[in-house]
Amino acid sequence: MLPLSLLNAAQNKPMLVELKNGETFNGHLVNCDNFMNITLREVYQTSAEGDRFWKLKECYIRGSTIKYLRVPDQLLDVVKDEQNRAREAGRGPRGGGTGGRGGRGMSQRGGRGAARGGPMRGARGRGRGI
Amino acid sequence: MDSLIPFTTSGSLVDCVDRKMLVVLRDGRKLQGVLRSYDQFANLVLEDTVERIYHQDVFAEMKRGLYLIRGENVVLLGEIDLDQEDDVPLRQVDWESLEPYHQKDIADKKARDEHKANILFDKHGFCKEGGEGDGY
Amino acid sequence: MADRGRGGAGRGAGLRGGAPSARGGKSSAPSMDKPKREAILDLAKYQNERIRVKFTGGREVTGVLKGFDQLLNLVLDDVEEQLHSESGPSTRQLGLVVLRGPTITLLSPVDGFEEIANPFLAQEA
Repeated sequence: MLPLSLLNAAQNKPMLVELKNGETFNGHLVNCDNFMNITLREVYQTSAEGDRFWKLKECYIRGSTIKYLRVPDQLLDVVKDEQNRAREAGRGPRGGGTGGRGGRGMSQRGGRGAARGGPMRGARGRGRGI
Repeated sequence: MDSLIPFTTSGSLVDCVDRKMLVVLRDGRKLQGVLRSYDQFANLVLEDTVERIYHQDVFAEMKRGLYLIRGENVVLLGEIDLDQEDDVPLRQVDWESLEPYHQKDIADKKARDEHKANILFDKHGFCKEGGEGDGY
Repeated sequence: MADRGRGGAGRGAGLRGGAPSARGGKSSAPSMDKPKREAILDLAKYQNERIRVKFTGGREVTGVLKGFDQLLNLVLDDVEEQLHSESGPSTRQLGLVVLRGPTITLLSPVDGFEEIANPFLAQEA
């Protein structure tokens, strides 16, 4: 589950986007691309100082100006389930292990999704209960 | 094993996945959470994140949840030793009581930095930071 | 080439991806990691509408969208710049302006844009 796949899966989900300049945008993700450019709808904009607020019907934000995005906690579980289902359905051409250690993109997805995401779920406990 | 992995973002971060990590951002924010994923830009997915603020020997935490951090904003990423993380000589207090002090620390630092920058600019011929093109 | 910079009403359908509409590809391919070639923003819907644009460095303008290209270069008419000087907010008129796409950080329609009271107080309380 690469960061940008998570973002892709967050479509229509509420999120908070903070820009490098400190402005924040609360809205529902409409669309995003691989540059992290995003479009939001029903947006609440907050000034960097946190003292002024605006309502926007929709907006486009350039990915390179983003500091971080906060997305719903459940999203990670939803996406993992979806990936598992997709893997079950689409076993074949590129499904299996790649073993490529430094692999990126597809191979990393396949490798990590299966080898780490699955069995390592048990390790979740480590980070919980903070 | 380690020597076979080239020193790249991906190479350095594989072992950090599913570990509790400290992330420090360019704006000074300190986040702790479990690293679930990253990419070649060091964009990070951080789960069960808490933000921490510090003032002298006390700190406070605020639950923040799931983050997707754009890699270029990260200045530091370090694994938290779960066996030793509670051994620090710091006292935890509630967020609301500490935040005003933290805000003041930030404001003081900003004033100090501006003062310094002005002296550098006026007397020593340095340029100013944060021109157009710098989002920060 | 002449039509490139002009944007124009017909361009929404003619964007690079070849999709029938700028967002047409979304429904057909469920795969989450396919490269997004098509623009995620259909600027044609803002044609002749007033939009607000922010730039790196903090400048901010509103204007009526007259043209655009796939790099997000824009042509705005009746442009008004919102200035945030130390002496307080003010505006100035710039007329017909070409905005360079790579410097644009934020784009939103003026319609439906309004300053409001803190909307999060109710939730926090």
